[in-house]
Amino acid sequence: MRTDEELMAAYISGEKAAFRELFQRYSPLLLRAMARDLRSPEEANDLVQQTFLHLHRSRLDFEPGRKLKPWIFTIALNLKREYFRRSKRRYETSLEDDRIAEPYEGPRGQEKSDAARETERALSALPPDHREVIELHWFGGLSFPEVAEAVGSTVAAVKVRAHRGYVALRARLGDEAPEHDGIPATKPSPEGSH
Amino acid sequence: MDCAEIRDAFVNGTVPPSPAVHAHLETCSHCRELFEHDAELGRSLASQATLAVPPSEELFGELETRLADETGLRAWLRSRPTRLRFLLVALTALCAVAVGGWLNRRSDFAAYPDARLMVLLGLYLLGILLAFEKELFLSVRRAAFADYGWFLLGALALPFVLALAPATDASRAAGPEGALGCFSYGALLTLPTAALLWAFDRDDELSLRTVCLSAAALGLSANLLLELHCSNGNFRHVLLGHASLGVAWLIAWALTRRISRARV
Repeated sequence: MRTDEELMAAYISGEKAAFRELFQRYSPLLLRAMARDLRSPEEANDLVQQTFLHLHRSRLDFEPGRKLKPWIFTIALNLKREYFRRSKRRYETSLEDDRIAEPYEGPRGQEKSDAARETERALSALPPDHREVIELHWFGGLSFPEVAEAVGSTVAAVKVRAHRGYVALRARLGDEAPEHDGIPATKPSPEGSH
Repeated sequence: MDCAEIRDAFVNGTVPPSPAVHAHLETCSHCRELFEHDAELGRSLASQATLAVPPSEELFGELETRLADETGLRAWLRSRPTRLRFLLVALTALCAVAVGGWLNRRSDFAAYPDARLMVLLGLYLLGILLAFEKELFLSVRRAAFADYGWFLLGALALPFVLALAPATDASRAAGPEGALGCFSYGALLTLPTAALLWAFDRDDELSLRTVCLSAAALGLSANLLLELHCSNGNFRHVLLGHASLGVAWLIAWALTRRISRARV
């Protein structure tokens, strides 16, 4: 099986089938990255299409030896940020006000278990910058250096965000207060501490 | 073993209690969180990660339709490599400055202080190139104002500051007349750069970032060439005929953005 970078190189040299294969590999990941924060599937689909349009327009910028995944996610996240800026909404607003009330849970691939829904809900309640790195790492399949490249941060900073997110997630999933790091849990601990 | 391999092992359901895992957990506090309480968090995230979503043929069909529209001169221009786009747009702006400012130098150029000339050339050219670089190269787009708002304000303010301090004695003595001529001259010479910036932009709908950075670059280009070309240092003249060009380009780009938004 060809790597993403080989497919991109093939597309640049005119092989249209390579673009379809890239779409098949990346559209589910991108749709998932878009879907959680957006109001409707149509908006998520549109942003995924725009990501591939940008990939097409930027194809001659792709340099041999570069990794495709962080590059395509940088494009996608920029488009998502631009979308929120345009619609004068913020991640925080969308998460806290809209998503939890009636979330669009993304494309239906298979039925989700109660545990999966619980995890998804716990993820939705995380601060956006914590959630972003966890989702990119786990659902986008990016390594931490790739996540750092995609979000424009350092590996150390990204790992700190992931760690804080994990602590908060564990507290929510396990219904217990985090033992360290100062991230408030949803429910207070018996001692009333954070 | 690294964090990505730990994640992959969870996703594949194959986390072995191996020495390699233990060695990694010794040094990685956030991966340790995944293993707490019988690896509850690691298993939960892995169960989410394995929810497969099939790629949509319908979505690809729509994308193909949009790709089929990618024809014509603008489609060709915006798909050029970024280094080439940067070079072309920078050369166009520098040509405007060279033709409008340097080849048609102000009548009192001999008396123009060398130090001021060097500082101005450095500041303006750096500002112009920075604006093009921030606009054209792919970078992570952060909050609007932190990313380029300050830059725009600086670019707009610089000519206003210069208007307070004319370069030569002769320029101080001039009257306010001729502001419209200078405004038209600066606008006309920077128009090709503006057209190129628009043609090179890869967004269907102009972003606020493009509006701000393009206005900053065009305003700086116009003011640099007018500073080299026009010997009139009258405050009102410089304010109306030179410094206002940055604001005028900002308005023009904002209107273009509005039109592009209506079309999308």
